[in-house]
Amino acid sequence: MDLSEIECEQALRQIELYLDGELAGLERVDVERHIGGCSDCYGHSQFMSRLKEMLRDKCGCHDVPPGVAERVRALFAERGDPSITA
Amino acid sequence: MARGQTPPDDPAVRARFERDVLPLLPNLYGAALRLTRNPQDAEDLVQETFLRAYRGFAGFQEGTNLRAWMYRILMNTFINTYRKRQREPVTVGDDEIEDWYLFDRLGGSGVEASAESEVLERLPDEDVQRALEALPENFRMAVLLADVEGFSYKEIAEILDIPIGTVMSRLHRGRKALQKALWETVRERGLVRD
Repeated sequence: MDLSEIECEQALRQIELYLDGELAGLERVDVERHIGGCSDCYGHSQFMSRLKEMLRDKCGCHDVPPGVAERVRALFAERGDPSITA
Repeated sequence: MARGQTPPDDPAVRARFERDVLPLLPNLYGAALRLTRNPQDAEDLVQETFLRAYRGFAGFQEGTNLRAWMYRILMNTFINTYRKRQREPVTVGDDEIEDWYLFDRLGGSGVEASAESEVLERLPDEDVQRALEALPENFRMAVLLADVEGFSYKEIAEILDIPIGTVMSRLHRGRKALQKALWETVRERGLVRD
């Protein structure tokens, strides 16, 4: 039996690291186990996770305007010695 | 500028650059927009980034982290060139922002517990982008790299050339400031009761 159970306060402090994939080993297990058994901390964790997803969806990969991709490609497409464009 | 580096004249290297680096353009352009906050500067920034990358590409070790390498060039170019032209948003003290600022307020505003994140999803993309763009630069770069681009703390530390502890601090403070900005947006949009 693992005795290193953590309290809500500690779990809430570590959720950020946990969701960032920056916890390993026992620390990760502890947070996972706590969230699994605590509906309040689970709610917090779900919220932060959705917030991260929302940022990725709404602020990530962007449609590149017509012309920009062509101008970027032109920097190196023709010759190996591209000149700087203004 | 990439001193002492010559552009690759080997067609195979050029083909590899086009195959491996060009597909990163949509993400890099999105990041450039969030950094510069306007399309013309964003285009200039990605052009300069690709040019520098192309010049240094012959020295890039295949199999190492190409995405991180490109973002490092993007961030350095931004910091050294474009940042000087930017007007920084007014920095707000973030010491008084609690860790769960947004969650606590959405929970106390008549929104069902399970619907807290759904309120955010109803925000138009542009509103969320503006909230991110309003963050002070150091916070914005950390949040962009972690949450939008999914880099690890170690990768962010290498991209920005700062210690991991500084990455963690900027990320934590940046996320709190972002929560505050999003809460203000949610209220302005009338998505919650005051």
